[in-house]
Amino acid sequence: MVEFALPKNSRVTPGKKHPAPETATSTKTFEVYRYDPNSGENPRLDSYEVDLGSCGPMVLDALLKIKNEVDSTLTLRRSCREGICGSCAMNIDGTNTLACLKPIGEVSGKVRVYPLPHMPVVKDLVPDLSQVYRQYASIEPWMKAAPPAEADRERRQSPEDRAKLDGPSDCILCACCSTACPSYWWNGDRYLGPAVLLQAYRWIADSRDEASDERLSDLDDTFKLYRCHTIMNCTKTCPKGLNPAQAIGEIKKLIASRE
Amino acid sequence: MAEYLTHEHDVLVIGAGGAGLRAAVEASAAGVKVALVSKSLLGKAHTVMAEGGIAAALADVDDRDNWRVHFADTMRGGQYVNSWRMAELHAKEAPARVRELEAWGAVFDRTVDGRILQRNFGGHRYPRLAHVGDRTGLEMIRTLQDHGIHLGLDVFMEHTILILLKDGDRVVGAFGYDRERGRFHLFRAKAVVLATGGVGRAYKITSNSWEYTGDGHSLAYHAGAALTDMEFLQFHPTGMIWPPSVRGLLITEAVRGEGGVLRNKDGRRFMFDDIPPLYANQTADNEEEGWRYVQGDKNARRPPDLLTRDHVARCIRREVREGRGSPHGGVFLDIAWIKEKIPNAAEHIKKKLPSMYHQFKQLADIDITQVPMEVGPTTHYMMGGVRVDPDSQMASVPGLFAAGECAAGLHGANRLGGNSLSDLVVFGKRAGEYAARFAKNNSLGKVNPEQLAVAERGALKPFEREGAEGPYAVQYALQAMMQDLVGIVRQEQEMLQALDHIQELKARTGRVGVSGHREYNNSWHTAIDLNNLLTVSEIITRAALERKESRGAHFREDYPAKDEQFGQLNIVIQKGADGEVQLRREPIPPMPAELKQIIQEMK
Repeated sequence: MVEFALPKNSRVTPGKKHPAPETATSTKTFEVYRYDPNSGENPRLDSYEVDLGSCGPMVLDALLKIKNEVDSTLTLRRSCREGICGSCAMNIDGTNTLACLKPIGEVSGKVRVYPLPHMPVVKDLVPDLSQVYRQYASIEPWMKAAPPAEADRERRQSPEDRAKLDGPSDCILCACCSTACPSYWWNGDRYLGPAVLLQAYRWIADSRDEASDERLSDLDDTFKLYRCHTIMNCTKTCPKGLNPAQAIGEIKKLIASRE
Repeated sequence: MAEYLTHEHDVLVIGAGGAGLRAAVEASAAGVKVALVSKSLLGKAHTVMAEGGIAAALADVDDRDNWRVHFADTMRGGQYVNSWRMAELHAKEAPARVRELEAWGAVFDRTVDGRILQRNFGGHRYPRLAHVGDRTGLEMIRTLQDHGIHLGLDVFMEHTILILLKDGDRVVGAFGYDRERGRFHLFRAKAVVLATGGVGRAYKITSNSWEYTGDGHSLAYHAGAALTDMEFLQFHPTGMIWPPSVRGLLITEAVRGEGGVLRNKDGRRFMFDDIPPLYANQTADNEEEGWRYVQGDKNARRPPDLLTRDHVARCIRREVREGRGSPHGGVFLDIAWIKEKIPNAAEHIKKKLPSMYHQFKQLADIDITQVPMEVGPTTHYMMGGVRVDPDSQMASVPGLFAAGECAAGLHGANRLGGNSLSDLVVFGKRAGEYAARFAKNNSLGKVNPEQLAVAERGALKPFEREGAEGPYAVQYALQAMMQDLVGIVRQEQEMLQALDHIQELKARTGRVGVSGHREYNNSWHTAIDLNNLLTVSEIITRAALERKESRGAHFREDYPAKDEQFGQLNIVIQKGADGEVQLRREPIPPMPAELKQIIQEMK
């Protein structure tokens, strides 16, 4: 029988333990994935007891507290702290989400924090997203249309047509959805994944864009689009409450209806 | 010379927010080879946090609007120490820049007949802000990013610049490192555009993202370029104040544009109590007229809740200090009250202000459609920056250009809401255009290997001091100190103390150590940022000491009135031959008669 095993260096080992200060009144344990490609060591799970009495309500607050006060080597991306830039996307308590929007109080027991799954890890909680960026560029996310009819005026778009872009255009490209998708884990090099397909749909749905046909033809591919098996993890995990699965469904319908 | 990864381009753009992207797009369209360097991932720059909209006299909603009104509004908001030429160019060109974004695919909210919808904002006479709900910055940065990808820019994400390189007087490139691996990179270029944004991270309470550490201000200053107006730092009146971890996060002015009102703990609309004479003619003197204004009644005047940001921030501070504040030390901003006026108010608020609704729901567990928000001033925007030629955006050092928040001039003593996003695209475009032109007329300069070696050694020093104090404690100390001593209300004694503290913090920074190695080491990055934060903090403090009056965002308790003499000049800062900060007062060039007349007409 075939035996599957993970590569040796992918096994996560137990790591260091950092107890809370004695003055702490209410504590919570954070188990955080640590990986340093330079060390030659396996990834490990360090555990930190955080004093909630002196910590903000979000997981990001706890991670920054750890970094600033306990262990300055902890590495993560963050920027806006209000859920609009998408930098602090990570896997918290088994779900991909933004650390700045995830209340610590929603996690029962230990808070386990990992980088976005199935992406190469640069260090600790920082994934290498270059594949997602490449795929995003591949859908040619720019307007393809004749210039506006009236010189020096904008194109007209009715509020109804404009409303069709609510949702797709709210995406912050944090990649939570794509990295939650088993099809993307398996075929990420060729399947575009929900984040990028949602953006592809944003241009198809735009009443001003004149290249829908070309865009649909480009997506009509066994791998690019049809590796989506409506598992719906994308929609379940989206920290902005968007629905990439529905957008992918719409693309499939549009392709089917023109044949 | 040591071997460094070397990149050669015609134009190097540092910063990938709205101004940097727009400059890169323009230079690229002019046919030169462009590199775009950004400290974070593409699309995550601070511009993404802009909420309310982009100001441009499109006249799509109110046909009385035109560039002359926008010009006069901008100058009045800036208390007339703005560069009038930049204000003129900005007002004239903003509409074309917005339509261009639309042509490139940007989504905008629309009027019933399909034009771009515009909303009211503080200090703007007519509804002028084109917007997408309250996430205008996200749409703008993505549109520019997509357009840039389309043109084929060389993008260096997560790279930090340490110094600008000089060949004689001219800037000929930059030297920095990539965050992922910590390798040093040499960027040679015929022209360099700075578009690094602001300085908010020098303060404890700020709406700014982590990147805002004054990098461009500091790079330009150390390269010998003149800065100006650094005493003018805007404190936005409405930041979140509770819970503490989100203190400072922005609450868009659009809340007030959509009918939100400020109240103290007694429920009083305290903004009616202090309307400055400069605005008395165009401000409503009763609540009923204010409501008609936000409902689009063209005959009504603006409610005082929408006075300029500097004034509103000081009124809030007054209410709090005199014991009329909210439980956590702010005042109340109430949008929920509009349910008395319109049906389905909750749905209306969620549609007009979706990000605000979610922000409070998620971060503070407050439903803004039902209860008032607690708000207080937050460090928001640096009006000062690199002194540039108004037309070309070139700094006082040849080959160096600057645009957006790190450049100075357009906003004078106080920026109007919505004028920042338009600033980014109007002057980003100009900087890109003139940088490309400069590049075509110049060759690559010589690189001085000694300059690189010094920068490399300096950057690596913190690793030699493993076990010493880390950078975060020093950063916190600086932020708390600047908040206390060089904040929203200033006075000489406190600012002199601040200068002493800055010297102590510089010494501490010189002893900071970091552990680990160079690969994606956040502490190391912070240790390097500290130098920039200290540079800008000192410059802000010295400029604020020099301006012995109160004007716009700069308020001196010891000189509470405006002084005619200071109204005629800008304070210019440059690094002296001795390495110390040098200040001089420069008269504002006389305004042409036709612009003067516009201001007279719009009084």
